[in-house]
Amino acid sequence: MSQLRKDPIVGRWTIVATERARRPAAFVDPKSTVTDQKECPYCQDTNSPSVYEAHGVKVINSNDPILDESKPFERRGHGLYDVAHSYGSHEIVVETPEHIPNMADLSSEQIKAVFQTYALRMQTHRKNPFIEYILAYKNYGVAAGSRNIGHSRSQIMAVPVLPMRVQDKISGAEKYFDYHERCLFCDIITQELKSKDRVVAQNEHFLVITPFASRFPFETWILPKHHHCDFAEGIKGYEDSLAAIMKDILLRFKIGLNDPAYNYMIQTSPVKNPSSFKDYYHWHIEVMPRLTRVAGFERGTGFYICPIPPEMTAAFLREVDIHA
Amino acid sequence: MPELRRDPVVGRWMILDDHSKGPLDFSKDDNTPTHQAICPFCPGREHQTPQEVDAVRPVNSLANTPGWLVRTVPNKFPVLSSDGSLQKEGYGIYDQMTGIGAHEVLIEGPEHDKNLTEFTSEEMQAVISQYQNRFRHLSKDRRFKYVMIFKNYGSSAGATVEHTHSQIIALPMVPKTVLEELKGAEHYHQYRGRCVFCDMISQEYQDKERIVVENTSFLAFCPYAPRYAFETWIIPKGHSADFSNADESTQAHLAQILQDVLKRVKKVLGNPSYNYYLHTAPIGYGNMACYHWHIEIIPKLTRSVGFEWGTGLHIVPTFPQDAARYLREASS
Repeated sequence: MSQLRKDPIVGRWTIVATERARRPAAFVDPKSTVTDQKECPYCQDTNSPSVYEAHGVKVINSNDPILDESKPFERRGHGLYDVAHSYGSHEIVVETPEHIPNMADLSSEQIKAVFQTYALRMQTHRKNPFIEYILAYKNYGVAAGSRNIGHSRSQIMAVPVLPMRVQDKISGAEKYFDYHERCLFCDIITQELKSKDRVVAQNEHFLVITPFASRFPFETWILPKHHHCDFAEGIKGYEDSLAAIMKDILLRFKIGLNDPAYNYMIQTSPVKNPSSFKDYYHWHIEVMPRLTRVAGFERGTGFYICPIPPEMTAAFLREVDIHA
Repeated sequence: MPELRRDPVVGRWMILDDHSKGPLDFSKDDNTPTHQAICPFCPGREHQTPQEVDAVRPVNSLANTPGWLVRTVPNKFPVLSSDGSLQKEGYGIYDQMTGIGAHEVLIEGPEHDKNLTEFTSEEMQAVISQYQNRFRHLSKDRRFKYVMIFKNYGSSAGATVEHTHSQIIALPMVPKTVLEELKGAEHYHQYRGRCVFCDMISQEYQDKERIVVENTSFLAFCPYAPRYAFETWIIPKGHSADFSNADESTQAHLAQILQDVLKRVKKVLGNPSYNYYLHTAPIGYGNMACYHWHIEIIPKLTRSVGFEWGTGLHIVPTFPQDAARYLREASS
């Protein structure tokens, strides 16, 4: 019989197939990511000047931005509805000067430079009083929403509103803290280290798990073992560890699942009033290989059907030989 | 200029891109039927599905034989099982329960390559009346809290069998998206003493530009803060929280407008894959003052990217007033 599992943070239920679960090998991506180097806009010296450049990482403004910082932020009402102009910034982080498609193939040094760049850009954007949230994320591969260019890059968006899923996570964590006076994420880490069956990898400072109520097959979270609500502040002193664990998990995906499309996103606390989040929020990274389509039921209910238990995907990922 | 808009029910912000995409700017699926030789939903192969639980068929015809107009069978590969009792259990900080529920397939018609847009009005009405029958039947099971009726059409919307069908899933809890709607609607009602959906309907009549079509009982419009391009809602004009109360004439009007909108979607977007699902009050909540049942139709035109997964902040490339205009101007 399948199982219903509840995400302890946002309270979302997932159906986890157990008996008739698909085998991990059934998710291996049949087609590897094809790329074409000739037209890579990130290899040539682009016309758009970089807003930041160091250690082989370059940040440029998106040339097709959906957010615009040039006019002051203004909210309006339209009858019953609320509207604002699309204020904010949208930047592309070109992660390496070399034409390498997958972050998994960058050196740990280079990955470290990328994450340090995210932190620096976040520190800059949070000085803007209109910005409420900053999201650093990556779309790798066409199925993950990326254009087929083949040059490793990620994106940073700074927006003037608090997005719904972020709000959900924060209020879930706050409720838990109000009752237990402990951080929910710290409790998750303790329980996962004890039960071990959803642990994919770990090092001194970070733990990688497949979450108990996964929405997608092979959904993976990277959690810092030390409590901190904010990514940009919290990684100070732990950058090498983070780069090492990122490379580790991305290699497990690449080797174990045949270079699948994936997304990752950094979940950090909102920009304003950081002191109010510091006790109960805990930054982390969600990594999501894109192996199945989301169908009508999931969209209509916000209730996901995960075709394989996370214990099985964790075991599969643990056994991938990344040194092969 | 791009805009940020907030959904008035659940409070979700979204981004409207200003490079407004027209209906021809999306890549398409080929949803031409192939006439599979081995379709288990075709008449004459009733034995290949689990035993039917309900059907619209002539009074003298036997269950699990041809002659039916609509036929509902348990899903051969159910995601939830209807046998057993509901057991809730804690596991450290986690909560889990047994996967109890019902998962049924509603085969909408006997002809393999005829889809809803080609149905006669009687055939369409038979589908809607079967939706309601199954809804009422499953609502009697005390283990269930919610019944979700939905349709996946086309491969990229998740359909695995091309013979026209919908699905019904009964759940032992109220799903998150519906809970969010209920919570938002309740909050609005507490503050203003009115139904937020009724207020949306009056606002849509005032603005007019997002209306697709209407009939005596229903309004079809593109919501002000959509999550997807060409997202379209069908909503009863009069306040009604519970789909299971819709009477025969309301059902006929629903059949008419649903088919009308699907024809427009097919014509404007070139037979795209789509999903639709019915949102209604949870079992036993009855006719709540704050909630209002409706159908959401979502053509599958774009993939969602990491940013949307991570934040719930959707980026929509078509303004709803443009989508509504295309759909309105298409003669159905």
